Amino acid sequence: MYQYIARRLALTIPVVFGVSIIVFGIIRLIPGDPARAMAGVNATPQFIEQVRVRYALDQPLPVQYGRFIVGFMQGDLGNSVFSGRPVTTEIGERFPRTMLLAVIALVIATMIGVSAGIVSATRRNSVFDNASMFIALVGVAAPVFWMALMLQLLFAVQLRLLPATGIGTIQHLVLPSITLGTASAALMARITRSSMLDVLRQDFITTARSKGLHERVIVYKHALKNALIPVVTVLGLQFGILLGGAVLTETVFAWPGVGRLLVDAILRRDYPVVQGTVMLLALLFVMINLVVDIIYAFLDPRIHYQSGSGE
Amino acid sequence: MQKMSTQTNLARFVLLVTVAILASMLVACGPAADTAVERDTLTIAIGAEPESLDPVRMTSAPAATVGEHVVERLIYMEEDGTLTPMLATSWEANEDSTVWQFEIRQGVTFHDGEPLNAEAVAINLSRFVNPDVGAAYAFLLGSVREIEAVGEYTLQLTLAQPFAPILSHLSHSFIGIVSPNQLQGLSPEQTFEIPVGTGPYVMDRWSRGDSIRLSVNEDYYGSTPQIPNLVFNFIPEESARIVALETGEADAIMAVPPADVDRLQGDPNIDVVFQTAVRTIYISFNNIREPFTNPLVRRALNHAVDKQGIVDSIFEGVGFVADAPIPDAVFGHTSVGPYAFDPDLARELLAEAGYPDGFSMTLHHPTGRYPLDSTVAQAVQSMLADVGINATLETREWTSYLQFTSQPPDQAEYDAFMLGWGTVTLDADYGLFALLHTRQWNPNGNNRGFYSNERVDELLDAARVETDPARRAPMYHEAVQLIWDDAPWIYLYNAGQINAVRTNVGGLIHHPLENLSAWDAYFR
Repeated sequence: MYQYIARRLALTIPVVFGVSIIVFGIIRLIPGDPARAMAGVNATPQFIEQVRVRYALDQPLPVQYGRFIVGFMQGDLGNSVFSGRPVTTEIGERFPRTMLLAVIALVIATMIGVSAGIVSATRRNSVFDNASMFIALVGVAAPVFWMALMLQLLFAVQLRLLPATGIGTIQHLVLPSITLGTASAALMARITRSSMLDVLRQDFITTARSKGLHERVIVYKHALKNALIPVVTVLGLQFGILLGGAVLTETVFAWPGVGRLLVDAILRRDYPVVQGTVMLLALLFVMINLVVDIIYAFLDPRIHYQSGSGE
Repeated sequence: MQKMSTQTNLARFVLLVTVAILASMLVACGPAADTAVERDTLTIAIGAEPESLDPVRMTSAPAATVGEHVVERLIYMEEDGTLTPMLATSWEANEDSTVWQFEIRQGVTFHDGEPLNAEAVAINLSRFVNPDVGAAYAFLLGSVREIEAVGEYTLQLTLAQPFAPILSHLSHSFIGIVSPNQLQGLSPEQTFEIPVGTGPYVMDRWSRGDSIRLSVNEDYYGSTPQIPNLVFNFIPEESARIVALETGEADAIMAVPPADVDRLQGDPNIDVVFQTAVRTIYISFNNIREPFTNPLVRRALNHAVDKQGIVDSIFEGVGFVADAPIPDAVFGHTSVGPYAFDPDLARELLAEAGYPDGFSMTLHHPTGRYPLDSTVAQAVQSMLADVGINATLETREWTSYLQFTSQPPDQAEYDAFMLGWGTVTLDADYGLFALLHTRQWNPNGNNRGFYSNERVDELLDAARVETDPARRAPMYHEAVQLIWDDAPWIYLYNAGQINAVRTNVGGLIHHPLENLSAWDAYFR
């Protein structure tokens, strides 16, 4: 197992390396100039030239890439072209906020999604099943910004129960995390349900039932553990998506997270910030996938991670 | 029976979770609804976060709005364009206006206790123009050759040649004076985050991405503001900004979309404030490309566009049809337009120019940069179609748009493009020289449409060095008339600005420079 983890960690190096080349290249392929984005229509040619020199944008691409990757390995992501502050500081301030939002959204999504999925599966075709699957469908389909605005109008403007925007208190977390968690909850409910139905149809469940086991034991001990494997995969992926994809939620609720930082940076062609943020998100995604794979082993003893077998 | 109990447990669990969430919402009930009780803090929601509050890094209106409360400059520009003393109490120039002396206000201290004197100002201005520092707006003081403290409270600026708008340039929000302590030991590339100025408010905290908090400067040399705390919240999403105002989370918001004016006016607790701005929106032709080399064609297109219709139907009447290349608040403005909306005349002019059946062209425009920019471009497209001109719209996101419209003459691949320009010094030089002087053709400056008129160049050059306003004004009047008749642009409109304020707040200054100032604000 440890060998496996070490090997997986070693594998992240080429992945991150590949990501670095892609992100470095793509942001430079988009037309636009950081200096012009910064000073707008008023930019003088002298100023634009100065910014190019200051951020080494006048250097050949391989040199720029070399600087970036050497800096990255030393933990230095450069300075933001827009604010002039170190990229590590920019990300460091915002990342915990996005993390908080993503974790809470995921907890809400898992609690609601998995329990609704289990109930739906065990009471298949009941009113609850149909209703919750319909809601789940709406939840998956509803655009995030629409959902966000509707929640704001209802809970902030009409009922005056919750703040509409900003950060600071637990109340500020409620609407954004529900918005962010809804689609994940809906997806998880549907996956849990179908996975649970598959498992409940299998022979060992029939055997367990014929042994006269409690239905509760069957559902939670025998069926759930097996049914959770696809759910865990989705959960891991969703977490990655929530971390990197909270842009709309962060924008509508003025939540100063890493998603908004990234989008603003792309619009401003703030190369160092884009590079740093994408690298961080890529690293996290790789790590989350690793953790998901390890959790598999606990959920399903048939999966072994010794070299040569079971992969 | 067993099966039932399992499901009931689960259902109970789900219910519990829901109840927990609802309960946490109800807990929130108190603070969210009662924010109105504490009246020692004024909250203003703005659409974008300042890039920096270090004067040498500032480039945007939001930065100016926040920065003004903390850092002051030598001269302040009133809403009507009058220049009044701020940190400089008086100023005078030598005979040919190349040497300026400024008397610096005495008895003023920075927020860190450091006294203000001519040396402190000189250190700040020298940093602003230092090429190694690379301030984006260093060009504002491009004419300054020497900065010197010639007395404890006397600052002397020596100019390379007379430069008439120097005073209005010194009033620019980005030329702020901070404590010399703050600049000590700073290398040219280094900047600071929290400015220490002399202003009516002291900056306490910058929560990145979220807000900036200020508190009142008890030792302010002028009249101390009434409201102890000031918060600027950054809410990029327009509808969220409106929601924040409706719920009272914000006391004032900037940049209300015209479409939401009705909704806000229907709320008895909210006042909608309309103010002029100094931003002109225009469509520039590529004046060196056929058929736009022909002034008849350029005038025809001006007659083809219903400017009043755009202002009325797209902007709900907020804004003014352009009657000159610069807005009317600007020194040097004279009303020479507008071109009457007259499609028949447009067709006649086109026929006279040799295009009786019109022609095809491409119209480039940005999206999301100026309010409703795409909508305006579409409206223009359909109006041009009426006179036989088949305009294809090309939309670009702002940063790549800027790049696209910044090519040298031989590489410029556009017929016409839409752009805006804020004459933020309220002086015609800033609004005309960079955009229309022949020496300012891309890539040397910002004349992206390659307009050229020798007489206009002469006038703009002469008016730069002529310091007597009575002689300057007629020069600009002549230049404005020539530019108008040459029609290098389709003159569209001067944008207005719409802010909204809760009715219990008074005394806010809605400045035409798109700043919202709160030092005179109070709660009713």
